[in-house]
Amino acid sequence: MNVDVVIVGFGTVGQGVAEVIVRKAPALHSAFGEKLRLVGVFDSSSYELNGKGLDPREMIARKEKLGKVGPRLDGKTVPELLADFHYDVMVEVTPTNIQDGEPGLSHMMAALTSGKDVVTSNKGPLALKFKELAAAAKKNGARMRFEASVGGATPIINVSRDLLVGEKIHSIRAIVNGTCNFILNRMKEEGLPFEQALREAQELGYAEKDPSYDIDGIDSAAKAAILANAIFGRECTFHDVRRVGIRGVSLEAVSLAAAEKKVIRLVAEVSPTRLEVSPRLVPIGHPLAIGGTLNIFQLMTDLAGEMTVAGKGAGRLETASAVLSDLAALMKENCVAKGREL
Amino acid sequence: MRVHADLRLKDVPGQLVRALEPISSFGGNIVGVVHHHDQVAGGRISVNVTFEVKSQKQLESTLQAWKGLDIDVARLSSLFETFEFEYVITGDISPTELREITDGIESVNELDSVDLRYSVSPSTGEKAILIFGKVKQKAALARVDDFLRQRALQSGFLLISGLGE
Repeated sequence: MNVDVVIVGFGTVGQGVAEVIVRKAPALHSAFGEKLRLVGVFDSSSYELNGKGLDPREMIARKEKLGKVGPRLDGKTVPELLADFHYDVMVEVTPTNIQDGEPGLSHMMAALTSGKDVVTSNKGPLALKFKELAAAAKKNGARMRFEASVGGATPIINVSRDLLVGEKIHSIRAIVNGTCNFILNRMKEEGLPFEQALREAQELGYAEKDPSYDIDGIDSAAKAAILANAIFGRECTFHDVRRVGIRGVSLEAVSLAAAEKKVIRLVAEVSPTRLEVSPRLVPIGHPLAIGGTLNIFQLMTDLAGEMTVAGKGAGRLETASAVLSDLAALMKENCVAKGREL
Repeated sequence: MRVHADLRLKDVPGQLVRALEPISSFGGNIVGVVHHHDQVAGGRISVNVTFEVKSQKQLESTLQAWKGLDIDVARLSSLFETFEFEYVITGDISPTELREITDGIESVNELDSVDLRYSVSPSTGEKAILIFGKVKQKAALARVDDFLRQRALQSGFLLISGLGE
């Protein structure tokens, strides 16, 4: 049995997913009795489909050498090209668009509507249309998994929904944007003014030329909205998140906080009654006072009490690892549904 | 309100239960009891009781009941439970603005204390102000928070709130 995968979006994350398919497909095959097989790849201007399977290494090499993966799309859309093509899972890893979620939203909706499973790292569609996507999945007997959309490699969604299924989670407080954390940490540790710390983040490749997506809390708010839907069952979107970024954090404020043995961190807080991203004063030594670019989640639960999960929030293989965990979860479910021994 | 009471009970069986009964019957919550068998004076034993009541009226009813039961209250101290708040505000904040902010916080019911600490950069003139204090009821924290959030929106300064519980 094969699990046929189409990767939509073949940038850093998409190529990372292709790489982990090469590396991990044998282990998944021996664990679940199904072979993970790449049958399609789309980038922003080209595509390749082959029902008999594609060599992921060759696709990565082709993309690196030619800048494309196959024939030009020539105005055709991903849903149009996949309409009559057999596959099982769409891995949707196109870049996040927080304005309207496109093109990822259309890709995911088309796949789910036709009963295909979706695994995604794309925050835009989830932060804007979670309810609609979940309804489409349910209606058509498809599954949607999105561990990679929040926290990169850090397993927060699957931990909360699967492993802590018996717990009541009261709240989650998290640092979900490594760029902001890097900037705030540099301000405190080196006494750099905000602008200088931001420039340093840009030079190191942590921040984009237009950093507003990170420093205005947009990225964190999208993740907060996803957590609110996925873990707390709240029907909300990115627009419902009360959001303040770190643009106005002054060196003077950082110093004043330090004098009180505190650091300033951009914290996302989600609970049944709270949905917010804002700079907060965090005591030094508290889990959320974490430095560097790591992501961290602090869960408050009724039985287990306080729990902290931390890990790498971004990166090619790190994000691909979260995608792989979702693919493995789907394969495990297939295995159980078919009564095969795990 | 948490109350510490030093009681003097007659050194006869059943007195401790008699002394504690009014606390719970008026809705109080007993936190701790220390019975000093070795401290007997004038035929009475010393007992320290710590309990929580929701109001002054509840405490007065308990004291009245003890009086009726011939239980001496040698010493009584009470302490309100307080809830802390902490913020840093930074940006262009004029002295008038700051005065209005402190006035606003001081007008919140159940405020116990409010304090400020300033920091101004001599080179850039950047200002940051730590605002910290206590309220006597948890609900008052939300009122302080609402006030500061609205003020930050209206005046354009950045509000950095404490992590809270």
